[in-house]
Amino acid sequence: MSHVPSDWEVVIGLEVHVQLRTRAKVFASSPWGFGQEPNEQVDPVVLGLPGTLPVVNREAVEKAILFGLVVGAEVPERCAWDRKNYFYPDNPKNYQLTQKDFPVVVGGQVEIELPGASRNVMGEHKFIRIHHAHLEEDVGKLSHAGGGSLVDYNRAGVPLLEIVTEPDLRSSAEAEAFLRSLVAMLTQAGVADCDMEKGQLRCDCNVSVRRRGAEKLGTRTETKNLNSISSVRDTVIHETARQIRELEAGRSITQETRGWNAELARGYVLRDKEDAHDYRYFPDPDIPTLRISRETVARLAKQVPENLYDRQRRYVEKLGLPYTAASVLVNDRDLAEWFEAAVAAHPANPSGIANLMANDLLRDLAASAGSAGAFEEAAQSPLSLASCPIRPAQLAGLVKLTDDGVISKQQAKEVFAEMFKTGRDAAAIVDAKGLRQNSDTGELEKIVQEVIADPAVAKSIAEYRAGNEKAINALKGPIMKRTQGKANPVLIDQLLRKFLA
Amino acid sequence: MADALHTLSAAELGRRLAAGTLTSRVLCEALVARYHTMNEKVGAFTHLDPADVLAQADASDARRRSGQGRGPLEGIPVAIKDNIAVKGQPLTCSSKMLAPLVSPYDSHVAERLRAAGAILYGRLNMDEFAMGSSTENSALRKTFNPWDLARIPGGSSGGSAAALAAGLVPLSLGSDTGGSIRQPASHCGVVGLKPTYGLISRFGLVAFASSLDQIGPMARSVEDCALLLHALASADTRDMTCFGPPDRALTPAGDAKQLRIGIPKGFLGKGVAPEVAAAVTAVGEFYRAQGCAVSEVELPSADLAVPTYYVVATAEASSNLGRYDGVRYGHRSSVAGTPVEMMTASRSEGFGPEVKRRILLGTFVLSAGYADAYYVRALRARAKIRAEYLAALAGVDVLLTPTVPTPAFKIGEKASDPLQLYLEDIFTIPANLAGLPAISVPCGKSGHLPVGFHLVGAPFSEAKLLSAGRLFEAAHGYAHQQAAL
Amino acid sequence: MAEGFDIDHLARLARLSLTAEEKALYSSQLSQILGHFQALAQADLPAAVGDARVVGEAALRSDEPGPVLGAEAVTRIAPGARDGQISVPRVVDDES
Repeated sequence: MSHVPSDWEVVIGLEVHVQLRTRAKVFASSPWGFGQEPNEQVDPVVLGLPGTLPVVNREAVEKAILFGLVVGAEVPERCAWDRKNYFYPDNPKNYQLTQKDFPVVVGGQVEIELPGASRNVMGEHKFIRIHHAHLEEDVGKLSHAGGGSLVDYNRAGVPLLEIVTEPDLRSSAEAEAFLRSLVAMLTQAGVADCDMEKGQLRCDCNVSVRRRGAEKLGTRTETKNLNSISSVRDTVIHETARQIRELEAGRSITQETRGWNAELARGYVLRDKEDAHDYRYFPDPDIPTLRISRETVARLAKQVPENLYDRQRRYVEKLGLPYTAASVLVNDRDLAEWFEAAVAAHPANPSGIANLMANDLLRDLAASAGSAGAFEEAAQSPLSLASCPIRPAQLAGLVKLTDDGVISKQQAKEVFAEMFKTGRDAAAIVDAKGLRQNSDTGELEKIVQEVIADPAVAKSIAEYRAGNEKAINALKGPIMKRTQGKANPVLIDQLLRKFLA
Repeated sequence: MADALHTLSAAELGRRLAAGTLTSRVLCEALVARYHTMNEKVGAFTHLDPADVLAQADASDARRRSGQGRGPLEGIPVAIKDNIAVKGQPLTCSSKMLAPLVSPYDSHVAERLRAAGAILYGRLNMDEFAMGSSTENSALRKTFNPWDLARIPGGSSGGSAAALAAGLVPLSLGSDTGGSIRQPASHCGVVGLKPTYGLISRFGLVAFASSLDQIGPMARSVEDCALLLHALASADTRDMTCFGPPDRALTPAGDAKQLRIGIPKGFLGKGVAPEVAAAVTAVGEFYRAQGCAVSEVELPSADLAVPTYYVVATAEASSNLGRYDGVRYGHRSSVAGTPVEMMTASRSEGFGPEVKRRILLGTFVLSAGYADAYYVRALRARAKIRAEYLAALAGVDVLLTPTVPTPAFKIGEKASDPLQLYLEDIFTIPANLAGLPAISVPCGKSGHLPVGFHLVGAPFSEAKLLSAGRLFEAAHGYAHQQAAL
Repeated sequence: MAEGFDIDHLARLARLSLTAEEKALYSSQLSQILGHFQALAQADLPAAVGDARVVGEAALRSDEPGPVLGAEAVTRIAPGARDGQISVPRVVDDES
């Protein structure tokens, strides 16, 4: 159910600011990172001391190029930086170095997946075009205390990639899907960590509405500095409704800059600054035009991971995975690669491997939070795949044992728990615990016939023969007991049906 | 003799220091004593810390005694224009805006001088933020031309030139954006070199116009100037516009008498005072007599140079000076109110009239609706001027003109006519626009006032400029000249 | 006066406050100077200029963190500081 009434259309464009994964800042060599004391990540260049000059960080440029390759964009032969001049206390030079005319990435597209009719059904796919992406510097952080304000320049100079979409989005669901897809692509390629709680990804959201079928775009508003996917979604929903309300009441939309108050779930107008933004852009004379070699582009192209939706399609179509399992796996590159390593060890049953991973492995990894010592930071976060006690080949080995009928699915869960605790191979655990299930047909036939002959189950047999399928289960308990739980349940079921027919 | 030390060249001082007949301590004590008696009269320095100077001198002497002298500049004082960062020293740019600032870092050139063993000797007066041609725009003090204390020393590196002409220091650093090294050198009868753009790192030079600024050496002789240039020119990864010197820039090659001299057509008619024209004509004759080929060259776009310069320079300056707002360092107004009000008051209190004029002009030429007509056109004009100079320099080695159309004027004489002052930069500005090296060398007097001639070369042809300068200097008596004070 | 030269607007953009005398003086002086720029407006110029200098990736800096000033030094040179941060008057319209 879309939030947009059927006779209206909403047009959305996003400008996403992403902090790139580097150790030093983009135009200065100061380190940066979350959680430092104020003004401890500031050097003369960051502070804008007189006489200081910018020098471009190679890693930041390469991460930007890598993003371009990930979205299939063009990486131009040359790019250059411009000055955007405006005065603000968080802006150390009172100009921001950005790229206006010759950005590092041009074009590209992001595939998105919308929610399906139900959880197990894949939704529609769409492509959202990227207009361009450019590399610029972040500004400091303002906070307010008492009658004044305080500035911390730790964030000033952090590398930002500003990713600008074409106005291709048509609903809050699409905006949300776009951001999820973008975050997955950025993190899976190692371009950015996108931890929105640390402010590593912020979004400006442009919204306009028009009557369905109209060609001309409506007047748009821009809501700035949204720092969670839910606030983008809510902003789109509210702003769409607001604009439709205004237009239906005969009023017009003012082109304005807005903010979003997440606590009150309300949008508001940002007071227009004096001289609305004559930024007097001009090419920065301290940074020469940069030539980007095709060799560099080719080298970085090798780092582009498989697109997550290509991978998802491959899992569903080639490996026969159900959509839900595939969707969970592809959302995390490490998880997907772990999965593929397990499949490589036992190619016959990818679904079995996926199920074990989704149900047991991920659950146990998450549950391991709290098992670390109270004073360790790690106590708060679950074990990562990197420190998982089980290796992919070992999980594959467990699935193979089950597929071969050596143990039952029920026993497999017991073995898995032991594997997670000890890191030992499945086969070793099965042998040590003597769990090999009994698939000796001759012996089992004898036991089955003995149990059938027992008057205690005569009633159940009668019910089964009368048509009650479930009644057969009452006979399985005693059989399991006689075999210390080791009877192959599939075989038992076959034998029972054979003898009761 | 101790009282003659201030008349010696850096080269000669270096020889005596190396021979052990002089210590840096004795030298610096003599210069500090002269500073105490002379600086009030001349006003070259805005700051000098004798204790610091003597400590540096002692350290230099100790290095030399233990056989660890660092080269020809070891123990020799070099005075620094107050827009070049030296850690622990003021960095005022002769402006109230930065009067409180002590630099927490060293410029690249300061590091180079330290590595050469030189003594970093005080802070020199200048036009505020390097904007001006007379040093009258300093907010801190006045500087006077040692040859006539009622006249300007030139600018913006007025203190750098006056200190040399008054025998207060043997070597100094200036900066040049439109002529700010060469013009005061000419007015004070000393040598000043603006290197090829990108030869000397700008890291630590307070930016006025980023694509035009260069630090350069100033001295009382071409030989001393070359000595200082060699110490300063080196690659620096902290400045993306700095190339570092290709060998040919500094290594003399070829005979100066084989240099081809080009004289731009019509340049001696452009409001040039008769004695200046005569002095520079004589320079051309001298080179011809030495065997150099002297010819006329065409520079058709010469009239575009001044407007192009003032559009580009003020545009870049308006942006470069945006950072001065009282927030992070420097002067902060005590006016209460919003941050906008505080920044506006700080800037209005901190900047002098010439700085404000240029910021307003620069803001205008970049502003919406006008940037195309002014700034973008100026960039195109700049490209045209550069192409014409390079074409001219394909057929000759150096271009010869006066440095300034007229000798030093009286203090206050042109204060109310900024345009007049801008037009006097006509000979020096093109070298900045085209990024070319240029030198001013004394060639005589107009009455009692020094006159300099100006040579421009192709990129990285500093060696040719110095060679040509040395040839002239050796045959004339202007090297090491000092005003009688 | 050159068309469009609005000294009040420019002073605001540049965060300068000018007295009435300053406005009058600078307006007239800058008018003269801009008048002189007519040569630039009328000159026959080549088409848009490319960058005189292009650098390759060798001119870029490696991603090695370098030295910092330290909060103590930063707050020491600041005209106003509190709790390790630089203090300014209250910002009203905070876009951050």
